[in-house]
Amino acid sequence: MKKILALALALCMIFALCACGQQAAPAPAAEAPAAEAPAAEAPAAEAPAAEQTVLKLWCIATESDANRPAYLQAIADYEAAHPDVKIEMEAFENESYKTKIKAAMIGGDAEDLPDIFFTWSGAFLGEFVNADKVQCLDEVYKDYTDKIPEVMLANTTYGGKHFGVPTTFNIVAMFANMDMLAEVGWDHVPETYEDLIACCDALVAAGKIPFGCAGKETWCVTEYLEPIIIKTIGYEALGKIFAGEATWNDPDIAKAVTTFQDMINKGYFDPAGIALGNDEVKANFLAGKTAFYQNGSWNTGEINDASFKSAVALFPVMNADRSSYNQTIGGPSDSLAVCSSSKNAELAAKVAVELGKEICHYNYLNAVGLPAWIPDYDTSSLKPLLVDIANIVASCEGMVLFGDTAMAADPAQVYLDYVSQVYGCAIDGEGFVAGLTKDLG
Amino acid sequence: MKKLYSNKFHILIFLLPALILFCGVLIAPIGASAYFSLFDWKGIGPKTFIGLANYKELFTSNSIGFMKALRNSLLLAALSVGLQLPLALALALALGKKIKGERAFLSVYFMPVLISTVVIGQLWLKIYNPDYGILNVFLRAVGLENWTRIWLGTKQTALGAVLVPTLWQYVGYHMLLLYAGVKSVPPELREAAMLDGASDGQVNRYIVLPYIKPIIRISVIFAVTGSLKSFDLIYVLTNGGPMHATEVPSTLMISMLFLRNRYGMGSTIAVLLIFLCFGFALLINVMFKESEE
Amino acid sequence: MKNNSKGARIAIYAGLVLWMLVNLFPVYWMFTFSLKDNPEIFGDNVIGLPRHWLWSNYTRALGTGNMGRYFLNSAIVATATIIITLVVALMATFALTRLIWKRRRTLNKFFMLGLTIPIHASIVPVYVTLSRLHMLNTYWALIIPYSAFSLAMAILVCTGFMNEIPRELDESACIDGCSTWGIFLRVIVPLMKPAVATVGIYTFLQCWNELMFANIFISKSALRTLPVGVQALSGQYTTDWGPIGAALVLATFPTLLLYIFLSKKIQDSFVAGAIKG
Repeated sequence: MKKILALALALCMIFALCACGQQAAPAPAAEAPAAEAPAAEAPAAEAPAAEQTVLKLWCIATESDANRPAYLQAIADYEAAHPDVKIEMEAFENESYKTKIKAAMIGGDAEDLPDIFFTWSGAFLGEFVNADKVQCLDEVYKDYTDKIPEVMLANTTYGGKHFGVPTTFNIVAMFANMDMLAEVGWDHVPETYEDLIACCDALVAAGKIPFGCAGKETWCVTEYLEPIIIKTIGYEALGKIFAGEATWNDPDIAKAVTTFQDMINKGYFDPAGIALGNDEVKANFLAGKTAFYQNGSWNTGEINDASFKSAVALFPVMNADRSSYNQTIGGPSDSLAVCSSSKNAELAAKVAVELGKEICHYNYLNAVGLPAWIPDYDTSSLKPLLVDIANIVASCEGMVLFGDTAMAADPAQVYLDYVSQVYGCAIDGEGFVAGLTKDLG
Repeated sequence: MKKLYSNKFHILIFLLPALILFCGVLIAPIGASAYFSLFDWKGIGPKTFIGLANYKELFTSNSIGFMKALRNSLLLAALSVGLQLPLALALALALGKKIKGERAFLSVYFMPVLISTVVIGQLWLKIYNPDYGILNVFLRAVGLENWTRIWLGTKQTALGAVLVPTLWQYVGYHMLLLYAGVKSVPPELREAAMLDGASDGQVNRYIVLPYIKPIIRISVIFAVTGSLKSFDLIYVLTNGGPMHATEVPSTLMISMLFLRNRYGMGSTIAVLLIFLCFGFALLINVMFKESEE
Repeated sequence: MKNNSKGARIAIYAGLVLWMLVNLFPVYWMFTFSLKDNPEIFGDNVIGLPRHWLWSNYTRALGTGNMGRYFLNSAIVATATIIITLVVALMATFALTRLIWKRRRTLNKFFMLGLTIPIHASIVPVYVTLSRLHMLNTYWALIIPYSAFSLAMAILVCTGFMNEIPRELDESACIDGCSTWGIFLRVIVPLMKPAVATVGIYTFLQCWNELMFANIFISKSALRTLPVGVQALSGQYTTDWGPIGAALVLATFPTLLLYIFLSKKIQDSFVAGAIKG
């Protein structure tokens, strides 16, 4: 018995390895051009190699991340133009990165910290800035005043000083599968709440699921809840609440939550979503399982290339007295920053700003984000869906940054806790408002 | 000889590596955690001394949910002692009687212990997947459509769904420990009892169990402290969600330290966790001693 | 009576086989879905053997995931941890069981504290210490904490084995003119061979699975261990189960294979630890 089992396992392994060996053969061939590129550069880089400075960059652009090509391209460009600088990039998975960068900031010596690191804007970077861990970038930005609007730096400005370089800019948008909508008789994305309800009812009646939302990652739930809230109370009121300048005690927020829960209870949301992660929910949308997917504009490229006809819009207005259609959740969040402990902090600051600008450039062309930096390159070949989103942004009246980025870490987690309870229908609108008012004041 | 073995210098040399390793990695961090648990501190920046306020908040605040996390891990410990160990014991007793294929059974039962917890977690994530997971697919196939659940996503089922693989993985570990005990029972004792006309059950009850009591004690201590410490599998499966339904002290501690930037509170949980584990180990030792008297 | 016991026997067998299937099925399922494509996994062929054996899943797992490298790293860390734990534990046990001094029982109890301390409770202080010692991002960042946390169990096991070595051997070696070191190295250590396997197994179980330390203490992707690698890879292929399955198999089968060939030895050593400890 034991021997048979062992033999079976051994055979499986051998087959696996042989098969890999065979199929691995073309792989090196495919890699060859990539390998050649640095080889070709090598002689040029050899001369100043003695004084080459190595900068460590930590980011979350892993192989599956849509930002990765932009990072690689921007780094390659920079290294080609500055042979005396070598940028070593290490990419980590999103969730583990949060623990990693915090542990490094709490306990790490200079050599355990990167020179340049990826960060979210708002409170995430703010706590590092308050602890004097981040290099001020004002000196470098003097040369870039005409390349980026000041408003794009607002989320990484603390005490009037700039500490971050936005690598992209994103809003929350409602993506739609127009082929599915056509099947129930809609040729455009519903623009009023009544229309949206009618459309969803038609979809449900036809046995289709309108929305998918990942319950396992609470930020995905906020991508649904926050647009509903902003369309109920308006961007000024929500901005004040996130900034801690106003309390959550607003009966209209309770109404917004009730609206969201009504949609859940009417079966507009895929019930399996609560146990799934964002990637799985997005895959369901791309595979035609759900008709809508409300999430960040970084998905634009992927959705544009889906096998169905796609369209994009904003969530409709709930309360026209306080809000309007052209308001949304969004802003520049993904950023680069420089550790003040870096031995080459001044050089790293220059590199970070230039890299951020170029990552933003390639992200825009790859349709994984909107430009935080003013485009100084050819944008005529953009994907159509991206152009639609750019137009939405152009007509935007007001914008509020994602709540979990805008708030400090501790209140943000309390807030996310309540949001996940809303999605699980464990509390109602009044409970949400009362709880947040009590816990966050 | 006595003189040779009493040389203070040699004693120190022999103990030094162990002491350095043990104190440096285990004891000193506990001291540091105990110290930081008295502060309101984000891990970076200034810290404020607040005495025992973290401890007080931990036990009284509903929004942190420490009591719930504690209840969950105690439930795991109880199930571990009440379900996992009896199952392991039954398997050990059955295998201890020279059954055919004994080795093959042993080998297979121990297998899950050797598989990395992350792999087991990923595997069970796939088993529980609401759309394509084998569990729901099976239920649908046998016509129990309305028994299907979103196992890891609903509050009512998530805890159970997390407990099953946690308990399952280590049955083999305890089984092998207990099997070792069963095998160490001198055959003469067994045979004498059989000659006196004792049934299998009676032999197990009056000869084997008392004999392997020390190993049962070890097993219980490992099961209970292991449950209180449990982290990896829950981290992979749910990371404490949905809505804290599967939170245990370790997951809560990590989220305090790294997500909520409450370093002082995280340290407080670490200190309490150590005391709990230690306290339970002592308690179990005392209980076993009392039952012997 | 006889009939009755035959019935009982069959019932016991049925139970044993059932539990065996419960343990084998996940491994079987993991292996088969590592060779399927999504339509097969998700719909038409959930349990059966793959229709087209899709070995390319393995190429993808090895290529993007670098599982071979992670496996090697885990093996290096585990081996070094086992060696260090063993050396340190043998020395300490010798002092605790042979050498004569007052507080040795107290110290033994002190070491046994280590059995109950949860590894995660010390994560940040250990990080800070390793950082000061410039050990982060090296294998040592994992080897040292893992050894420390395996020490208590290793001392427990070694004490059991060492107490069984007759003290007369020490006496005669002493008369032959051996020093303390001589007795330890020439008499005790050679007789502790069975303990090596046992300590090795317990230490392996402790450090092979660990996720959190490995995630936080290692930033270089070239040094990542298996649990971190598997976790990262499944984050990358959330919707494409085939390559995940392949990664899980690659992370699991070499250990299982080794185990099946050595199972008797491994079980006997494990069992020895249980009895002596």
